Amino acid sequence: MSKKNNEILIEVKNLKKYFPIRKGFFGGHTQYVKAVDDVSFFIRKGETLGLVGESGCGKSTTGRTIIRLYKPTDGEVVFGNAEIGHMNEKELHPFRKRIQMIFQDPYASLNTRMTVGDIIGEALDIHGLASGKERLEIIHELLAKVGLNPDHAVRYPHEFSGGQRQRIGIARALAVRPEFIICDEPISALDVSIQAQVVNMLEDLQAELGLTYLFIAHDLSMVRHISDRVGVMYLGKLVEIADSEELYQHPAHPYTKALLSSIPIPDPDISKAKKRIILEGDVPSPLNPPSGCRFRTRCPYAMPKCAEVEPPMKDVGGGHMAACHLL
Amino acid sequence: MKNEKLLEVKDLKTSFFTHVGEVKAIRGVSFNLDKGEAIGIVGESGSGKSVTSLSVMRLLQFPGKIVGGEILFRGQDLAKKSEKEMQAIRGNEIAMIFQDPMTSLNPVYTIGNQIMEAIIRHQDLSKSQAKEKAIEMLRLVGIPSPEKRVDNYPHEFSGGMRQRAMIAMALSCEPSLLIADEPTTALDVTIQAQILELMKDLKEKINTSIILITHDLGVVADVCSRIIVMYGGLIMEEGATEDIFYNPKHPYTWGLLKSIPRLDLGGKKRLIPIEGTPPDLLKPPKGCPFAARCPYAMKVCMEHIPPYYSVDEKHRSMCWLLDERAPRVEVDTGVQRGRTE
Repeated sequence: MSKKNNEILIEVKNLKKYFPIRKGFFGGHTQYVKAVDDVSFFIRKGETLGLVGESGCGKSTTGRTIIRLYKPTDGEVVFGNAEIGHMNEKELHPFRKRIQMIFQDPYASLNTRMTVGDIIGEALDIHGLASGKERLEIIHELLAKVGLNPDHAVRYPHEFSGGQRQRIGIARALAVRPEFIICDEPISALDVSIQAQVVNMLEDLQAELGLTYLFIAHDLSMVRHISDRVGVMYLGKLVEIADSEELYQHPAHPYTKALLSSIPIPDPDISKAKKRIILEGDVPSPLNPPSGCRFRTRCPYAMPKCAEVEPPMKDVGGGHMAACHLL
Repeated sequence: MKNEKLLEVKDLKTSFFTHVGEVKAIRGVSFNLDKGEAIGIVGESGSGKSVTSLSVMRLLQFPGKIVGGEILFRGQDLAKKSEKEMQAIRGNEIAMIFQDPMTSLNPVYTIGNQIMEAIIRHQDLSKSQAKEKAIEMLRLVGIPSPEKRVDNYPHEFSGGMRQRAMIAMALSCEPSLLIADEPTTALDVTIQAQILELMKDLKEKINTSIILITHDLGVVADVCSRIIVMYGGLIMEEGATEDIFYNPKHPYTWGLLKSIPRLDLGGKKRLIPIEGTPPDLLKPPKGCPFAARCPYAMKVCMEHIPPYYSVDEKHRSMCWLLDERAPRVEVDTGVQRGRTE
């Protein structure tokens, strides 16, 4: 796909996000949920990085911290040449329009009391990008771009179906002409027959506008389809990251292997022939993660060393990184 | 497989009488289920797949109502049973697992109490015997140390364990029919794999018939031997799992198979979506419900609902393209027989 560019647009270095939980009667004793714990990766300009993992693995928190909906506990987020992770709101303002987000639930993420035109126009107002007739023209143009009727700008969100609402959410994100869009589970609330429509549109927009995506999802087949590179997270850690074909063909980490083998394949012959790695148990609580490698409690290959030493990220060749003692 | 019919649904029609008018959620659905067989009902939201299962269970809530047809379970018409008669069947002979294990368990009773409730109601067992049975069921579905876990409350269980507890509850009276409505949709993939494995395993052990309702074609390919594809309140195509995947005859089935990315094939082939949106069942289209989105729609499709055409003994499709007067259409869905990765 868009491999022409080797320029790095965004780099996340040792990102940490801990959420405090107060315990005890007076809230004196504080524990931390380590939602994102020391995660590093980069995204090249014009490429799509997929981020997958099970619920609670920290993939959404990573996205929300990069876009500064959360303030990182520690670590850096370098966007272009600027470190935005620790900027205050005023310094951050010019960056807000360069990074946008598309949310999972198209029913909850649009204000029900605003018309579609105002939902999209609000971003233009905040950044003072257009007003009056020009503003209206931009709104109409955006609606047409995402495949909606421009005349629908006067309608309210409840008049639209789920797939159409997600298109409105995408039009809103595009309004400020961003360079980088974080797509947080953008299709998981949509019907199967509608998902492909939205994914194709995201791909078309990327080609047309040169966008860079961080695509967060739990649907591994869709992530493989849309991403150039894919990162796999488990319990707040990035356990493996590689080019998407490489990751799916030659997964290195036992968790990635199990995750890939768990996906039901819509083809009965393959499904019957497939050997599944069924993981035991559930994901441990992030309040009290296992020592050493966090996956060791469910890992079929766990050794004594795994409980003691946390495995570092190792390059297994060609930028394919994985964190496992077996490598 | 023994060809003993367990369930026979004949021309079932269910409507919801809302203040804006009658929503015809199911408009004439017929299918059978043999003893020990697992069938899958596939469709997107609003296709009528869940309403079909709720009608069979007679769990439709106001303003929903069965307006026509028969539901023959072992030859008896469930549609005509009184609520009291249904209570003796529900949970005993027919059990159901719901999508969301978080909301379908009662948070103020222990898991054990909730499983025992069904056992005490339908079987002649004392309280302590029922508890023994509950522990045995939890062990069967793979809950570690069930003697202790039986006294836990639902919030002390994880999502996957709650779904296991739901399955234990559903199977506690050894039902001859288990209806699972999107049992794994709320779960993570690794947990989904555990639950599907469990369901396949239990089907062998207890010989229960299963109706699995899902939107995920991968899930049915794994578990079911026969598939029903629903759209707009009607069965569009029905056939053995192999037929639906390798020899589909309905444009909606083609569309579904083409629109999902294939993990096993790889490559960056562009997805082919089904354009448009599903029909509004308040004013269902006069002809085929899929006609408005069908790339092969003809004039007749807009005007008349097609009849079922038999492809072979067990494979039927509701599409005018199968009429001998229609043009021949060949479609490559990318799914091929005999591949094993």
